[in-house]
Amino acid sequence: MTLLPLMKAVELFHGLTDAQLQRLLDISQEAVYQDGDVIFEQGAAGDALYFISEGQVEICIRSTPNSPERTEVFLGRGQIFGEMALVDRGTRSATVRCCQDDTVLRAIQGDAFTALCETDTAIGYVIMRNIACDLSFKLRHRNLNLDASSQGADAPEEGGL
Amino acid sequence: MITYKVSYVVVGGEHPGAIANELERPRVGGRVRIGRALYEIVEIHEALPPREDFAFLHATVRPVQTAEHPAE
Repeated sequence: MTLLPLMKAVELFHGLTDAQLQRLLDISQEAVYQDGDVIFEQGAAGDALYFISEGQVEICIRSTPNSPERTEVFLGRGQIFGEMALVDRGTRSATVRCCQDDTVLRAIQGDAFTALCETDTAIGYVIMRNIACDLSFKLRHRNLNLDASSQGADAPEEGGL
Repeated sequence: MITYKVSYVVVGGEHPGAIANELERPRVGGRVRIGRALYEIVEIHEALPPREDFAFLHATVRPVQTAEHPAE
C-alpha cells in the first residue's frame, strides 16, 4: 500500500511533489508503539523527526529534574514532533509518550534528511517553511489553551455566587 | 481533499488539549478522543485562513464521562 496519500495529509510535506515525497518516504522508518511506550525522553540526544501516521502521543515536560511531569499537548494523526532537535541539534526538550495502542510513527533521521536536502534544496526549503508553520500553529494552540485555562480559573463554580 | 488541522482546547480546566488532522470537518456535538478520555465538541471556528488543501480550525471541547471513558 502506498503511503503517499497519507504523507499528503501531513502539513510538513505540503508543497512537495510525488517524487520528492517518495524520496522522503525512502529515508523514513516505521515504528509501532503501544499505550505507555516512551518514544524518547527529555534531555536525551536526538536527531530524528517523527510524524504520526495513526494514533496519538503526549508531549510531557519537567521544568526541573525533580519537578512533576506535566503534559503540554496531545498530538494526533498528521502531526510532527522531534523537529526542534532537527533544527537546533539540541537535546530533546520533552518526553514523548504513546497514549493509544497501535500508534504508528515514521521517523526521519537528521543525517539522512540533511543529505537529501543537499541534493534537492527545494525539499529543505519547503520542509523548513512547513516546520515554521507547524511551530506557529502549536504556539497558537498553546496561547488559546492558556486563555481557556485562565477563563476556567476565573469562572465561578456552579452554584456559587 | 481537504485536511482539517484542528486545535482542540478543553475549556475551564488544566487540560493541555490536542492537535490532530481530521479527514472530515469536525462538527459541534461530535466526539473526539484526547489522550485516554472522550470529549464533545461544543464550538468550532477558523483559526487561520485555509492554505490550499489544508484548513486550520480551533475547536473547544468538554469532557464526556462514560464508564469506558472516565474524565481525565
